[in-house]
Amino acid sequence: MIVFEEKIARTARVAVVVLAVLLAAGVALPAAAQTQEERIEELERQVEELRSALEAARQPAAAGEPVGDDEAEELARRIDLLAAEIERLKIGEAAVTADRSQYGLGPAATKVYRVDQGLSIGGYGEMLYQNRSSTRDDGAVSGSKDQIDFLRAIVYFGYKFNDRWVFNSELEFEHASTGSGGEASVEFAYLDYLWRPELNARAGLLLVPMGLTNELHEPTVFLGARRPDVEQRIIPTTWRENGFGVFGDVGPVSYRSYIVNGLEAAGFSAAGLRGGRQKGAQALAEDFAWVGRVDYNGFPGLLVGGSVYLGDSGQGVTVDGEELAVGTTIYEGHVDWRWRGLQVRALAAQAELDDVVELNRLHGDTNTLGIAEEMGGWYVSAAYDVLAGRAGEMALSPYVRWEEVDTQKELPPGFTPLRSQDTESLTLGLAFQPIDNVVIKADWQDYDNAAGTGLDQWNVALGYIF
Amino acid sequence: MPVLLAVALGASAVAPAGARVLLSTEEALNLAFPGCKVERGTVYLTEAQLAAARRLAGVEVRGAVVHPYAARCDGRPGGTAYFDVHRVRTLPETVMVVVAPDGEVTRIEVLSFQEPEDYLPRRGWYQQFEGERLDGDLRLKGDIRGIAGATLTARATTEAVRRVLALHRVLSAPPGGGEARREKRER
Repeated sequence: MIVFEEKIARTARVAVVVLAVLLAAGVALPAAAQTQEERIEELERQVEELRSALEAARQPAAAGEPVGDDEAEELARRIDLLAAEIERLKIGEAAVTADRSQYGLGPAATKVYRVDQGLSIGGYGEMLYQNRSSTRDDGAVSGSKDQIDFLRAIVYFGYKFNDRWVFNSELEFEHASTGSGGEASVEFAYLDYLWRPELNARAGLLLVPMGLTNELHEPTVFLGARRPDVEQRIIPTTWRENGFGVFGDVGPVSYRSYIVNGLEAAGFSAAGLRGGRQKGAQALAEDFAWVGRVDYNGFPGLLVGGSVYLGDSGQGVTVDGEELAVGTTIYEGHVDWRWRGLQVRALAAQAELDDVVELNRLHGDTNTLGIAEEMGGWYVSAAYDVLAGRAGEMALSPYVRWEEVDTQKELPPGFTPLRSQDTESLTLGLAFQPIDNVVIKADWQDYDNAAGTGLDQWNVALGYIF
Repeated sequence: MPVLLAVALGASAVAPAGARVLLSTEEALNLAFPGCKVERGTVYLTEAQLAAARRLAGVEVRGAVVHPYAARCDGRPGGTAYFDVHRVRTLPETVMVVVAPDGEVTRIEVLSFQEPEDYLPRRGWYQQFEGERLDGDLRLKGDIRGIAGATLTARATTEAVRRVLALHRVLSAPPGGGEARREKRER
């Protein structure tokens, strides 16, 4: 029996040594076939096997008294130490330290596990098929051709320099190829200084914090194969400009306040503000703007808030020797409410421009097809996941959206509004998500406008996020 | 042997990726159980227990070693805390879930979050888990409401709570049919 005990103890000793080496190597070496989670899981399994072997060794081989063994006890203690160590590895840095206590508690003293660098990678993409009607509402031939486009392929890169300084970016490839009308763009690239939950600083190429879609524009987030028109023509998603500002959370309220380069009025049109984006590319900085946003998140599932944009958009443009300011005000309110399988999103936005008569003169439009002094729109959309009652990620959500946009709401005296820009649309569709990261959407859009030239279409979109 | 253990400990010092750590485990336990005595346990699940936990949770339960932190407050059971590490998008989140003796969630705290904070829900969102039990309604789009733009976090956290409650139920089951070996040490 003594020989047997020694053999078991020796075996266990060797196993603990192997475990310790595995623990060291398994974590320190870069992942190959196994992820760190899998390696930890494997270590846990080996700890358990080893412990079972020790338990068995303590039992009599057949009938008789249990075997007492100090060395086996010591090995058992060390196995438990390794189990505790695995727990620390799983939990990571939080096992021993906190660098920002939200509750005024001091950080733990030990920081041996602390590593301050970290690369974060993510992305999304969407492909869109659009089948437009061959005739308009007035019966005229539309001449519009169907199209399938790999609309966006996006990669997010973030990097944490240390606990305070964080970089985040989104690199976009639009329409698949720069050789066929596509483009590669930086959608945002900014540095954050994280001071405390209530007050942090941000600078760089920023997403203008307006609306529901501009900051959260992944295809799994918005309802519809295509983004809402209001959030393309009034809030020109994806709207990004160079600037700086502050952001944070105060209780259930979150806020953002940025100074950014202003829009460029020379790009405005009768169809809206979209052409005025400068996108951070050698942006004219004669005029700046302030944009602020407040959201209330007090109830789970509810987001309600609003934002305001104030600034000039002239960017040094002159008409008849006089520099135009083109004061621009945009304001919007939004709500996103989720309850069980139901999701409701609504938004209303309004834009007001100054110096419009002169601006239209710049464009050569003196009495027709002018840029409006006032434009606006709203939408309300709803979806219900009919699979919400069952477990799992799969979702099947019929959705509906009603939307009205008018970029010719109010023009200066003497100008005639372009009636085709006064639109309303009904979207009926179905979204299928086999997993949270993937969505397939199909919908039909009935477009009407005041000129009677609405063009209906149906769409199919494939989107993913990771 | 001590040398090898030291190697293991030393190696772990360079391994974990940098996280945004909001609370240490000790701080989280102090928040959950102020003035209470907390015992850290190590439980080695049997195959049957692991299978039962997976079945109850309805989500993946990885690893057969569980560490419940059982609190006694004024001599009475004050609840049990579990730490769960799960992947959100590509990077992990660590949460502490506190379960009352009757199996109800009484508290949830985020200890670390490695994804960009844009994907970190506000504290109010996490509070909706309080009072939840392990049943069919404990799921996203059930009792748990989603959050715009942070679906993956919401899903991962909800699954973590289900996993913890399932493990708690398995560990609280009366002995028999493969009861886990359990040893406790004073923390």
